[in-house]
Amino acid sequence: MSTNHSSKSGGLTRRNFLCASVLAGAGGLIGLPGAGRLSAEEVVLPFANGQRPLVKYPQKRPLIRLTTRPPQLETPFSVFNEGVITPNDAFFVRYHLSEVPTEIDGDAFRVEIKGKVNAPLKLSVAELKSQFEPVELVAVNQCSGNGRGFSNPRVPGGQMGNGAMGNAKWKGVRLKDILSKAGVAAGAKQVLFNGLDKPVNEKTPDFVKALDVDQALDGEVMLAYEMNGEPLPMLNGFPLRLVVPGHFGTYWVKHVNDITVVDENFTGFWMNPAYRIPDNEGACVEPGTVPAKTRPIARFNVRSFITSLVDGDHVARDQRTVVKGIAFDGGYGIREVLFSHDGGKNWRETELGKDLGKFSFRAWTIPFTPQQAGVHELKVRATNRIGQTQPLEALWNPAGYMRNVVETVKVGVLA
Amino acid sequence: MKRIYFAMILSVALAGFAAPVKIELPAETGAFKLAPGAELANGQCLSCHSIEYVSTQPLLPRAFWASSVKKMQEKYGAPVPADQVDALVNYLTLNYGTNGPGATPSTTTNAALATASSGNGPSVATKYGCLNCHNVSVKIVGPAYKDIADKYRNDAGAKAKIEDQVHKGGSGKWGPVIMPPFPQVTTEETKVLTDWILAQK
Repeated sequence: MSTNHSSKSGGLTRRNFLCASVLAGAGGLIGLPGAGRLSAEEVVLPFANGQRPLVKYPQKRPLIRLTTRPPQLETPFSVFNEGVITPNDAFFVRYHLSEVPTEIDGDAFRVEIKGKVNAPLKLSVAELKSQFEPVELVAVNQCSGNGRGFSNPRVPGGQMGNGAMGNAKWKGVRLKDILSKAGVAAGAKQVLFNGLDKPVNEKTPDFVKALDVDQALDGEVMLAYEMNGEPLPMLNGFPLRLVVPGHFGTYWVKHVNDITVVDENFTGFWMNPAYRIPDNEGACVEPGTVPAKTRPIARFNVRSFITSLVDGDHVARDQRTVVKGIAFDGGYGIREVLFSHDGGKNWRETELGKDLGKFSFRAWTIPFTPQQAGVHELKVRATNRIGQTQPLEALWNPAGYMRNVVETVKVGVLA
Repeated sequence: MKRIYFAMILSVALAGFAAPVKIELPAETGAFKLAPGAELANGQCLSCHSIEYVSTQPLLPRAFWASSVKKMQEKYGAPVPADQVDALVNYLTLNYGTNGPGATPSTTTNAALATASSGNGPSVATKYGCLNCHNVSVKIVGPAYKDIADKYRNDAGAKAKIEDQVHKGGSGKWGPVIMPPFPQVTTEETKVLTDWILAQK
């Protein structure tokens, strides 16, 4: 009954089959332009109504704009082929509320730690740097709805391709160290995080997220003031953001200035009903139905991508090509990545690149010498160190969260 | 040695950010497709978010748009008047969703709205959703009416400028969020609204 197949064959169980989305039609024919291959000003994501402008924002290169207010920007997929670290100026942007901070004095900024603590704190970024041990961690941040536009049947929400993810080296301090200094009071249950972004309408719930105290104290959750060796870009949470390694971006609260320890389970809108997944192992239901029970979204499932080729690319017959890509999971680390050049009939093990830590993208490469002309369906499938892998057919849920199907890239081999 | 160590710590502690970071977001220009009901969508939806929240959705049936408007009202506190909900849902379905059997042209409702009495300033502002973006005394998304009145206090052409702004939309002189056009506000209503705005102190 598990979607987390430890075997390489990975047949779908009955429940997972029921969860699987309707198989797409022919689609992806050779000659169709892939994402990012049109004009410089526009891309067409490969699903209906997928036209998006490429727009340059402050501290950013031109990115795929999903929405203007609040800003939501997607990374062009070609960026993931440039290296396993996503540059700050290409890193995706996702806000929920329209009163987005556009001017912040990093020296005057304070983060407050309050609520059920013995000694409330108010700390500047300089004090975080001088009073606590700095830590560095390479970790993927990924939007819960990354790839939502591919849901079949389609679901409402932010219609993104697969570019709402990125991998950066975060530097900051352990949340555990800060909470220990403040002293978490007995009976504390959760820790709430709020940032400087606000709603336009005072009746709109402010964007507040909660972590259980145990997780907040796990030593992995951090408050980051640097990203890839630079202060955070404004649109990625300057001057301080929460980093919850292995967990979806919804928890990575930006411009975080308010940390409140509470002795109850928080039930605010952004924890319930927002950002919830079906309460089963595959986080899925039969397409078109609603789950009977839900739970808050949490860890990433396993994903892998081919980055060096996109739909519609051509490769030469009998010529050796090195296919490249990335894989990641919710923090156990990638064990293996398999590659198929024939639509999943045969799989070969790829060579993994340098290990930058269990929360990072892991690069992989494999040589591929096509021997037949025609359309080749290239597939890639990763397994992590606890045996979790990716389903061969997409699992479906009404919010379009946690997409992690084995991806297919169709390339043409010339005779 | 101890002193040197202390000095080093201090310099680290004081090494802050070079200067406050300030960014300017690109201007927002999108407005809803001109069709009966667009004024409702421009007035009700764009106060809190830009048009792509609607325009990038897949083609979905009326039930989705109805539940979306309900969600905006109930979860996000959108002040959509009850008598505008059907017309708004119809507009969204016809222009951004599937043309399902439940979708009926909203002409009746809109006609009813258009022929309603032009009333007073606040009633016109409420009817077209102006107050979602504008407040009398404080800036929300758009400028406060008081600030508009101040700006045009000694301008003989103020009335014409504001009436034109209502019908054609903004030029961006108040900030990056550009006001959508409201061509459906009748001439009489526009006059009433403009007089009321300019009377604010």
